[in-house]
This record gives sequence, structure tokens and C-alpha cells, in this order.
Amino acid sequence: MTIASRNKTDVSSLQLDDNSDSWIIKTRKTFSRAFGRMKDDMDPGDESDIALKKKRFVIISVFGIIMALIAFFISISIAAGGVIPISDAISSLVSSIAKHGTNLNEEELYIFESRLPRALAAIAVGAGLSIAGCMYQAIIRNPLVDPYITGVSSGAGCLAVAVGAIGASIPFMGADNLYLVPIAAIIGGLVAFGITMLVAECSGGSATNYILAGVIVGFAFSSIQTIFISMAKDNFSDVMWWLYGSFAQVTWENAWLVFIPVIFLSLLSMLWAREFNLFMMGEEQAKQLGLNVKLFKRSMMILASILTALCVAFVGIIGFVGLVVPHACRMALGGDHRLIMPASIIIGAMLMLFADIVARMAMIPMELPVGAITAIIGTPVFAYMLIKKGREYDG
Amino acid sequence: MMADHLLEIHGLNKKFGDFQALKDINLGLDKGLMIGLIGPNGCGKSTMMKCICKIHEMSSGSIYIDGEDISKKKPAEVSKLVATVPAESGLTFGLTVTDMVMLGRYPFVDKIWWENPEDETAVREALKTFGIYHLRKKQVSMLSSGERQRAMIAKAYVQEPKVMLVDEPTSHLDMKYKLQVMEYLKKMSYSDMTVIVAEHDISLMARYCDICIIMKKGEIQTIGDPKKVITEDLIRDVYEVDSRIGLDEDGEIYVLPKKYIDAEES
Repeated sequence: MTIASRNKTDVSSLQLDDNSDSWIIKTRKTFSRAFGRMKDDMDPGDESDIALKKKRFVIISVFGIIMALIAFFISISIAAGGVIPISDAISSLVSSIAKHGTNLNEEELYIFESRLPRALAAIAVGAGLSIAGCMYQAIIRNPLVDPYITGVSSGAGCLAVAVGAIGASIPFMGADNLYLVPIAAIIGGLVAFGITMLVAECSGGSATNYILAGVIVGFAFSSIQTIFISMAKDNFSDVMWWLYGSFAQVTWENAWLVFIPVIFLSLLSMLWAREFNLFMMGEEQAKQLGLNVKLFKRSMMILASILTALCVAFVGIIGFVGLVVPHACRMALGGDHRLIMPASIIIGAMLMLFADIVARMAMIPMELPVGAITAIIGTPVFAYMLIKKGREYDG
Repeated sequence: MMADHLLEIHGLNKKFGDFQALKDINLGLDKGLMIGLIGPNGCGKSTMMKCICKIHEMSSGSIYIDGEDISKKKPAEVSKLVATVPAESGLTFGLTVTDMVMLGRYPFVDKIWWENPEDETAVREALKTFGIYHLRKKQVSMLSSGERQRAMIAKAYVQEPKVMLVDEPTSHLDMKYKLQVMEYLKKMSYSDMTVIVAEHDISLMARYCDICIIMKKGEIQTIGDPKKVITEDLIRDVYEVDSRIGLDEDGEIYVLPKKYIDAEES
């Protein structure tokens, strides 16, 4: 390699322009491209990276959907009421749907009225929390971030407990109202996020400020929640399940309210996978490459927070999934969000389905908090991945 | 209006609150130059670069690249005119070298998800040009500093910019990679691109740059052939350091810092 010599560039004039008081530097000749277009000398067996990515995307989608379906069928065939063969479960499911949920026999009734909505809610919540975590981690560029980082869970918990404690005295709404706690939770979650966003944006809107604002707002709402709990010890046993997370309250009346919007928003967020990749290079680079960073960050924060609020509203606070599933996907698949976003949706849904099965089945007739189960199942798996891949993983 | 230069800066001012980071910068640069930006920390080198690539909005003034007023251009169009190699890149969350260099094609891709084959061709060409093709499947986090810097330059190169802004490219590199990176930048300046490098290693800059721009406190102090303008007096004035400047047998200058001058004593 030769050292480039300075006289190859011919600076013809260097002058102080009289008219404009500006330095002007001219070159006399134009240079041909120093690097001519290289002939494509790829190794013959060297596959295009884009083609490879597309292939992997298809494999993840197809294989993942098959695996998720298997988990789904296992989930509807196992319940406290008894384990039935998967084939029977499928046929009962098909027949009950064919009958539009009317005139069902006992088994069909079990599956259609109890296990099916529950499984759909588990799929939606697992997928929604995982992809929300994935989005937050990318935007905030911090591996310790989970979907509750912006105070959504604390705000939701605070209002859920509040209506649990005083709900009975609200006119037109008894404490037994099916939608009372969820609606309070959504409002609380979004209010908490709104305050976080306001504080963060007023302080410059950096990722660190979002974390700090989210943490303090979360603390404030948790503290108010503690005060509610200590003031009215007996009145809110109805909402205690909510604080630990559970699918026991899920029925057809609320399952579709979780399933449809959460799955829709999860799939919608995948549209911006490439923009999330850009964020991996830092906000300045993302901006330099033509992304409207402020708008993108705000809108994705709002999208992820709505997803989180919807997920926690009906089934309560389920931890671990949103933090760890995106990391597991990154470790296995690399940093490209076009692969890790669909993978997060699928893995999150599967983990939640299995966790719910264990929560229902481990100590019949008692039902365990599903949030604890996700962590108990997930931790060894994640620890194994960390040991295997942690050395080369910086996210 | 000045003659049509590749990069024109007219009356550029940049204020951060009360602090005037850049004061009335006027500059016209032709294509195919390697420009060294020299000055002490906080003199406005990085700020000027960030104004040129529109990461910072300028307080007043105007910047034209290839005749286009960048203040009127959309960010995606600006990023086809000017590319940056940042001083440091943080976490990359498992992106591979190909993934990262491919992000440089972001402004060119009109589809939602997948890049086009020609983007891939451009990326592979760049990877080969900068000698990192064999690393293309490695994670960026696993690269050495020199390899990472070349990957960042490759990312900027696939943006096919007219102006390349490089902020302290050699600050973490050993001697060999310093020379290597400067040589790659020099080569790019031969291909009609104007490369602007901010760097503290003055000997290195004097050797590779066609023109040095010396900045102090947000203003351009001097511009010229590095061999002529870099003098012991200038170093004392700009950096407040006593130095010795010598010539090696090839006629290249080298700068030896000797002793800093304590402003409070003098």
C-alpha cells in the first residue's frame, strides 16, 4: 500500500474572496472515482444477505406460527377440569365454533367458554408485552428497559386498586362490574405515561430523561397505591389478583378487547422495523440518515405504552416477559428488528401460553400468579442463553 | 452570492443559549478536497460539522451543498448529500457489520421493509473497498476499534455523499490503523468527495490534508496549506502550547508538543 502523497491533489487557488469575505478553495481538475466500480466477485456460494434475511423471516413466521398453534392446542386441552387428547380438543373447538357457541356439550362448553378466551388473551398479552419491551429497548437503547419503564404499570395498578377500594361507591358502577378495573387500569396507565412523557419532553426528551421520568412517576403512583392499600385493607381483595397478574378473570366479554387491538398494534409496529434498526446507531446517526427522530420516538413511545396499558388492563401486571423475550430473540437472531420483532411476538405468546398452563395446573385447585411463573420458566432458559451467547452480546 | 462550490457556508452562526459556538463562518470548498479541521476542544469543530449535516439547526446563515440549500431540504435528501462518521458509536445491540453498513442505504430505500439488490451491491462494494468484507457477518460489538471505524466509514460511503464529515476518526486507534484510516479518507477525496476531518493529531493532518482550517473559539483563525500555516506561533496561539515543528526527510512536518502555557500565569 502506498502512502498517498499530497501533491496528487492540485489546489489551484486559495484566496480571500474580496466580495464576500469568505475563504474559497478551488480545485483545478475533477478527479475520477478513486474506487472504480468493482466487478462483482462474490464467491459463487455466497448468498445475498437480503435473500437470506427474507428466508429467515419466512422460517421464523411459519415455524413460529406452527409452534404457537401447538402451544395453543395444548393450552386448550389441559385444564383443571381434566386433560383431554389434543385431537379431541381440536374437534371440540371446531364443533363449538361451528355451533356459534350455542347448544354446546360439556366439553365444548369448557373449551369454548373458558379455555379459548383465556388462551387468546395469553397469546395477545405475551405478544404485546414482548414487542412493547422490544420497542422500548430499541428507542431508549438500554438493555435493562422493560414495558413498565414509563410508569404504565404503576399508574394502572394505582387506579385499579383505587377503584377496588372505593369502586362500590361510584354511582352506576358496582365494584363487580367486569370492566371497572380494566378501564381504571387503562386510564391510570396512560395518565402515568402522559406525565412521564411531559416531564421527559420538557427536560429535553433524551432517552435517559425518559427513564428517569418514568422511574419517578412510577414511584409516585406506587406510593399512592400503597397508601390506598393501607387505608382500606379489606375492600380490595377483588383486585389483588390484578397486582400479581392472572388470566382467571378472562372471559369472552373481555378477551376480544385484549386480543384484537393488541395483535393489531403488535403487527402494526413491525412496519417500522427498519427505523428501529436505525435507532441502534444512536439518535444523531438516525437523524443524519433522514429519520424524524423526535416524531418517531414520541409516536413509538405512545404506541408501546398503549400496548402495555391494554395488556395490563385485563390481566394485571406480568413481569419478566417484556424484559427478557426481546433479549432472547436478539441473542438468537442478531440485531435486525425485521427478524426479532416477529420472533418476539411469537416467543412471547408461547411463553405466556405455557406459563398460564403451569399457573393453572401446578397446584390445583389453587391458581398461581402467572407473572411469577413466567419468571420461573424463563430464568433458567435465559440464563443458559446468557452463558452461551453473553460474551458476544452487547445489547 | 459566491461562485458555485460544492460546499458553501455563508454567515453561519450557532448559539447554544448564550454561548456562541460558531461566529460568522464563511467558507467555500470545491470537490475532491481533503480538509483538516484543527482546533482545541470546544472550538466549534464538531458543532460546525453537525450544522453542515443538519443534526443541529443553525442559528443564522445558510449552507449550500452542490447548489442545494440544505435548510430547505428534507432530512432524507440531506443525507444523500452529506454523510458523517461520528466520533464514537455506542451499543449496537447485535447488529452485524452488513446490517450496519446497510443502514447507510436507508435514505435510498423507498420500500417499507427490504432493501433492493442494488443496495446490497453498494454495501458489498463498500465492504470490499474498506477491507472488511470478511467481517461482514460479525457483530459490530466484536470488532476492534480499527475495524469498527472502517465499518463506520463504509456506512458513510454507501450514502454516496458529496461531502463526508469525519469526527476524530483516529482517536482510539494505534499507529497502523491511524495511517490506514487516513489513507482511506484520502482515497475518498480522490473520488470527487470532499472529506472534512476533525482531528487532534496535527502531524497526521498536515501529512494527509490538502488544506487545514484552524479554528479557535468558534471562528476560523487561518486557512491554508498545512505546511505553511502550521507554525510554532500558531500552535501557541491556538492551543496555548509551546511546541517544536520539524521536517522529516520526505518534507513532511511533524509537531512535538513541549509545554503548555498556563493562561493564569502569563
